Amino acid sequence: MSATSQTIILNSSDGVDIPVDKEVATRSVLIRNLLEDLGDTGEPIPILNVNEAVLKKVLEWCEQHKKDPPATNEDDSDSRKKTTDIDEWDQKFMQVDQEMLFEIILAANYLDIKALLDVGCKTVANMIKGKSPEEIRKTFNIQNDFTPDEEDQIRRENEWAEDR
Amino acid sequence: MPAAMVMPNKEDIDGTWNFLENGVNRIMNQLREGVDLKTYMGLYTAIHNFCTSQKAVGNNSNSSLSSNHRGGAHLLGEDLYQRLIGYLSTHLQGVRKDASQHVDEALLKFYIKQWDRFTTAGTYNNHLFRYLNRHWVKREVDEGKKNIYDIYTLHLVRWKEDMFEYTHKNVMDAVLRLVERQRNGETIEQSQIKSIVNSFVSLGLDDSDTTKSTLEVYKEHFEAPFLEATKRYYQNESKQFLAVNSVVDYMKKAEGRLDEEKEHVPVYLLHEIMGPLMKTCETALISEHSPLLRDEFQNLLDNDRVEDLARMYNLLARVPDGLDPLRQRFETHVRKAGLTAVEKVAADGDSLEPKVYVEALLEVHTQYQDLVNKAFKGESEFVRSLDNACREFVNRNKVCKSGSTKSPELLAKYTDTLLKKSSKNAEEDDMEKQLTQIMTVFKYIEDKDVFQKFYSRMLAKRLVNITSVSEDAETSMISKLKEACGFEYTNKLQRMFQDMQISKDLNSSYREWQDERWDEDQKSNAVDASFQILGTGFWPLQPPSTAFLPPQSISKACERFNNFYTNKHQGRKLTWLWQLCKGEIRANYIKANKVPYTFQVSTFQMAILLLFNDQDSVSYDEMAAGTSLAKETLDPSIAIMVKAKVLNVEPADGKTESGTAYSLNYGFKNKKVKVNLNIGIKSEQKQEVEDTHKTIEEDRKLLIQSAIVRIMKSRKKMKHVQLVQETIAQIKSRFAPKVPDIKKCIDMLLEKEYLERLEGDELGYLA
Repeated sequence: MSATSQTIILNSSDGVDIPVDKEVATRSVLIRNLLEDLGDTGEPIPILNVNEAVLKKVLEWCEQHKKDPPATNEDDSDSRKKTTDIDEWDQKFMQVDQEMLFEIILAANYLDIKALLDVGCKTVANMIKGKSPEEIRKTFNIQNDFTPDEEDQIRRENEWAEDR
Repeated sequence: MPAAMVMPNKEDIDGTWNFLENGVNRIMNQLREGVDLKTYMGLYTAIHNFCTSQKAVGNNSNSSLSSNHRGGAHLLGEDLYQRLIGYLSTHLQGVRKDASQHVDEALLKFYIKQWDRFTTAGTYNNHLFRYLNRHWVKREVDEGKKNIYDIYTLHLVRWKEDMFEYTHKNVMDAVLRLVERQRNGETIEQSQIKSIVNSFVSLGLDDSDTTKSTLEVYKEHFEAPFLEATKRYYQNESKQFLAVNSVVDYMKKAEGRLDEEKEHVPVYLLHEIMGPLMKTCETALISEHSPLLRDEFQNLLDNDRVEDLARMYNLLARVPDGLDPLRQRFETHVRKAGLTAVEKVAADGDSLEPKVYVEALLEVHTQYQDLVNKAFKGESEFVRSLDNACREFVNRNKVCKSGSTKSPELLAKYTDTLLKKSSKNAEEDDMEKQLTQIMTVFKYIEDKDVFQKFYSRMLAKRLVNITSVSEDAETSMISKLKEACGFEYTNKLQRMFQDMQISKDLNSSYREWQDERWDEDQKSNAVDASFQILGTGFWPLQPPSTAFLPPQSISKACERFNNFYTNKHQGRKLTWLWQLCKGEIRANYIKANKVPYTFQVSTFQMAILLLFNDQDSVSYDEMAAGTSLAKETLDPSIAIMVKAKVLNVEPADGKTESGTAYSLNYGFKNKKVKVNLNIGIKSEQKQEVEDTHKTIEEDRKLLIQSAIVRIMKSRKKMKHVQLVQETIAQIKSRFAPKVPDIKKCIDMLLEKEYLERLEGDELGYLA
């Protein structure tokens, strides 16, 4: 990117124009491809599936990570998959209510921002880690729809994996 | 796209596809008019929404427990993928139909245009369908499903199956016709071919890894027919051309064609074709006509057509085994040229000048070495052929009829004329050049031992008589010989040089010795003499063949030196080589000249002349008695002085025999003050040559025997045949030994019990 960063405008699903550095916006592969295909027309780009609040949050992350090396190819990192470590800034960034957390994950998936999607999923994974099924249900507000029989069967099938 | 773009229901596949088809169609057919942001985002979003719709999860929830889906969540997208395939196939059928209406260049133009449009649309679609690529396609590929590709590759696959399979033959025909027109001299649009090549290459997909491409499609459908057409074209052309044109013109044509074809590759072909294309052209243009070319070779050689020879070399060098027959012919040709040149000069018979002979050899060598460098790029194989030919005509030609020893003899004599002081000695630079030329011929000489013999004899003479043109030239020649044949070959020559140096020092210390011991009287009465001490083993010199009674003044000088020398080096014995000694005497009796004449004479002549100090007339018998010289030496010595009118004969027609008397000619006259009477005698020279040849045979036997002993000493046991082979190998750098000679030597060694016969044709070494 050149020193004089160009600005483009994103238009959120609830109709708000958000100006943003091109360098920041192109963290999203969707936007990068779009600019590549259509060129920069100066018109606002409609982001149909993301509202203003979430989009701003996502762009905040993009701003922070704009200098990151572009994620190498899709299957780059077994290491990234295996660890649930999250860097400090991202941990703080993800301290939001559950609804916002899931919105960010969906938006990252839609906008094709792999690194952000990974951070979101890791955050959720950390919320599950070390919890009993009952605690997990409580955390995510899930109703137990298994019958006692079904539950028994599952427990037996997974006995080998239990910590003893 | 209509302004009223309504996003389809994400759970409705038909609705979603209709929406998508509309957009894809637009991208396919109207991309040039542009796609607006809304449409772009709309299409992407519709695909995203469809693939993430709850329905997908719902569909599957029933079977979640008994699911054999190891990979986890079910991903939607197959419907979209299949429908896209259907769309692309139908679309390409239309394109195909249009294509059938074009031929030749119009077809190429159409094909390229459609290809560009289709693949550009493919990149757009690949981006729009990225969500599908990222999830559904990726999952399918990861699970090892065949025939599922990312969306861009899918475009290529469809093109290959629905378009390429039907049209490639016609397209390629058009390409080939275009290329043929270019070969016929027309200007064509080369970029078209380049585009076709690129599109064929793009269609080469590696089934095992879709991110890689192969050249298979290109090789089969472009390269193969292209090479076939090339072959046919040049087969025809060369046949027709040769029917009406000369071989020389054909070579120019072929050379031009090869250059053209090579130039075309980077312009519109793939670099990979260079090898096979050149091979095809070379086969059609060169290999198939190589017999014809070779037949022309002799003709070109005969007429010295360097440029055409170079062209022929360059052409035939490109095809396998193209040059071998040329090398053979070249070798034969050079040998014949050499033999002819020698035959011309051999007409002089025995009076053949060494210089004329060597120059004749050199001229042929220089001419063809030049040719090898200019026409054959100095290629080592041709150099070898040249060497073979030269070795043949240097050692076996008309002059050498009586034996191959004639060449080294003449070469050594020529070297002697160069290195001996004379009025026409060359400048230093020139000298070095001529010595190098001598080494050129020397390299081919097989009987290097013969050269060595003659050379050392002549060197000995030059040193003893101090007639070398310069010490630098002599050492330069010796170091050249050493470089060519090794230390052993020049060992004696170098020792001869050392002796000369030692003698110089010895003479000055003798003079000091004299100064210390002698009074003035002794000094003024003594003969001013200098001495050369020559090591017996190193110099090819023989003791005098005649008895000799030296004059008293000389014998006194010798005696004194002898005392000095034996005092210095006890146990050494000096043998006086009178035949090589010489001196100067002043003829004070001739009063006609103001300055008395000085005669340069041999010691024998000196002894004769000094007899006249005691009496005016000396008879032949008195001379014989006074000098003790044998008749063979005495007679010619007298004859020269008679001929030079130093002596008068009585009676005037008296022969050199008993009864004839001689007196001094007081009226002697000569233009020069110094008169040389020490002139070599012809018959003596001839005798020397014969002697030299004789010693060669003896020396060779010794050389063979010592080689055999050397070999057997290290091997202990050896088969007879092997021993002969190895002996030849060891000796051939000196001369070419004959097998019967080696066998004779082996027998001699058996007799002397150096060797013993063992079982089964084996020989053993006896220490």
